[in-house]
Amino acid sequence: MTPVVRVAPARWRETCAAAIADGGRLCGLFADGSGPTGALGAAVAAPDGDRLLLTEPRGGIVDSVVELAPAVGWDEREAHDVHGVRFVGHVPLRPLVDHPSPVDAWAARVAGRDVHQVAVGPIHAGVIESGHFRFHVVGERILHLDVRLFYKRRGIEAAAVGRPAADAARLAGGACGACTVANGVAAALAVEQARGLEPDAELRRARVVLIELERLYNHLNDVGAVCAGVGFAPGASLYAVLKERVHRLCARIAGHRFLFGAVAVGGGTVAVDAATARAARAEVDAIVAEHRAAWRELRFTPSLRERLVGVGVADRDAVERLGGVGPAARAAGVARDARGDSPRLAYGGFRPILVPGGAGDVAARVEQRAREVEQTAGLLAALLDGRLGPGAATPTAVGSGIGLARVEGPRGETVCAVRLAGDRIARLWLRTGSYANWQLLAHAAIGELLPEFPLINKSFELCYACVDR
Amino acid sequence: MSATIAAAAVVQLAGAVALAPLIPGAVRAVERRLQGLRGPSPLQPYRELRRLWRRSGVAPVPRTAVYAVAPPLAAAATLAAALLVPVGAVAPDWGLGGDALLLVGLLALGRAALALAAWDTGSGFALMGAARDLAFAPYLEALLLAVVAIAAVGAGTTDLGEIAAATAERPLLSAPEQWLAALAFALVAVAESGRRPYDNPDTHLELTMIHEGPLLEYAGRELALLQWTAAVRQWVAIVLGVALFAPVGGPWAGRVAALAGLVAVAVVALAVSETAQAKMRLLRVPRWVGAGVAVCAVAVVLRAIGGAP
Repeated sequence: MTPVVRVAPARWRETCAAAIADGGRLCGLFADGSGPTGALGAAVAAPDGDRLLLTEPRGGIVDSVVELAPAVGWDEREAHDVHGVRFVGHVPLRPLVDHPSPVDAWAARVAGRDVHQVAVGPIHAGVIESGHFRFHVVGERILHLDVRLFYKRRGIEAAAVGRPAADAARLAGGACGACTVANGVAAALAVEQARGLEPDAELRRARVVLIELERLYNHLNDVGAVCAGVGFAPGASLYAVLKERVHRLCARIAGHRFLFGAVAVGGGTVAVDAATARAARAEVDAIVAEHRAAWRELRFTPSLRERLVGVGVADRDAVERLGGVGPAARAAGVARDARGDSPRLAYGGFRPILVPGGAGDVAARVEQRAREVEQTAGLLAALLDGRLGPGAATPTAVGSGIGLARVEGPRGETVCAVRLAGDRIARLWLRTGSYANWQLLAHAAIGELLPEFPLINKSFELCYACVDR
Repeated sequence: MSATIAAAAVVQLAGAVALAPLIPGAVRAVERRLQGLRGPSPLQPYRELRRLWRRSGVAPVPRTAVYAVAPPLAAAATLAAALLVPVGAVAPDWGLGGDALLLVGLLALGRAALALAAWDTGSGFALMGAARDLAFAPYLEALLLAVVAIAAVGAGTTDLGEIAAATAERPLLSAPEQWLAALAFALVAVAESGRRPYDNPDTHLELTMIHEGPLLEYAGRELALLQWTAAVRQWVAIVLGVALFAPVGGPWAGRVAALAGLVAVAVVALAVSETAQAKMRLLRVPRWVGAGVAVCAVAVVLRAIGGAP
């Protein structure tokens, strides 16, 4: 049961500050409704459980909390652009979703001798999603990076308003192909909470299997992507094969290579008999055995190591300040993993693993993923030990109509908040790990050479579609 | 003898004009096999050239004559360089002379033409690639000159034909300094042909490009010409290496057959080395070239100890 704390608008900043002082973390901020009547919500992950702070700013004006938590800088900018909320103290409040044409209107001013700008995208030379990167450089050295995304915003959150609550998982799952399960489960959990439903053990296990399968193919893909980024073809080929094997396994278990449509609100859609589950477990074991051998090869390839170590550092301080999540945060030594506090999923006794040293560079992020592949395989082996799913969510309390959930996806935690009006969605808010980490990526690029950026970018492997929701 | 010279001229022309695109095609085909992929046919570069040749071009605005002149100039300079390199230790006289320094100059001219074209368009990616190319050019050209100088000292002349003739006569297990120079030359050859670990010819990441950067502003026939030029550079690098350092004697036909075999060996070696290592960091390139300089220094010392042949 997520406590909802209603806050007087005048005490908004103070309440957020107190939540942070108590060891909580602001993991997203969103506007609910536009104009003078709109509300503002903030998701807080605190040691004693998650909660949702809600306020109703008078006339759509509220104190900014960006200085308390730079992590919500993008959230405030988005709430301003899309919902017209005005944040006092967020100066300059640069447009994020809106795309004004003068560069100075949305990018930081960088002045000085020999400073020039390099503009990359939104159309790239390869098949890459739409994103514009504005590098401020001296020679090859990056001084500052402004990222402009939101080119293909689909309005999923707006489209959700008025739809039946049961559609929430499908809508959220459609935000992104690579973390459709994490997003879908987050939305399903949020809606179930809003309705007072509690998933049973079967459903928890089935959902964790799906989440971990998704993580497995993503992590394998991301290790291969870094190899491709430095032109190391054998690594890219090996991991492409392993990833493909996980896709085929997904198709056997859930009927879809990317696990689309495998998550539903209030129950499971995946049912696997014991024989299939054991076969799947054997396949996961085989894949991870090959991964282990391939990873050992990669670790001892000097030309590859030389490219990765010390490049694109997002250290502990930066992660804490900018609200980094997922493997990028753990690679910097921050033990932040929503699986550790997911009481409504089958993650009993979960402990995040951290790479030794926590350097937060490209090498650490790749190694973090390589290690998490083994951890994920362990989780899957324990869960695929017999019949699986479908399970159901059963009523345990009277729902408050408001729900919040955090689910650890491949790139970090997805936070989803839902407000229901009867059986229909009044507000669906989705904030993915990619959304949280874009600011961290821009930070990690500072001081590096331009040709290193594609590699740093791949080591985060952030998703544009998750932002263009 | 004149028949041999005419045949050598035919080999030079056929090699540079017709066979050069086979080199990147074959390297890619072998690489893909090594990586467990099926990959395109070795003839793929020809198909790409045909496709580009049929396409209408687009050109950036504004631009000057520099942009239009660069592709034919780069192509002509590279073709002239190809005609300077002896095949089977026979150098037909194309009216260019046969000096090794001229060859280095022609390669530099091709590079300069493309760099100027990049400046002409003012495109960020083209300029970035050209700037990197020019930044590393002094190192690479110095190393190439050092290598050529060691070969020239061995033969007592800077004339490529005479160097090749002297090399062909040399016993296999002699002149260790020449073998060291050949090792250093391999580093230059990889860089001059724009291959890993110096550059990545397969990349689509604009920010990492060196040789590909200036090409981004070209399309259609001009791009076809430049891609062909890049292939000829690889041909020149390999054939020059054979001419300078491969002690293959015997009748001319046998030497040309050996040349074909050595080109094939170079193709496989390139494919293996590209598969076995990642592209290096940009600022490691001078250090990499420095390794070549160190090898050359050892060669000079060996030569001094060994005395005159």
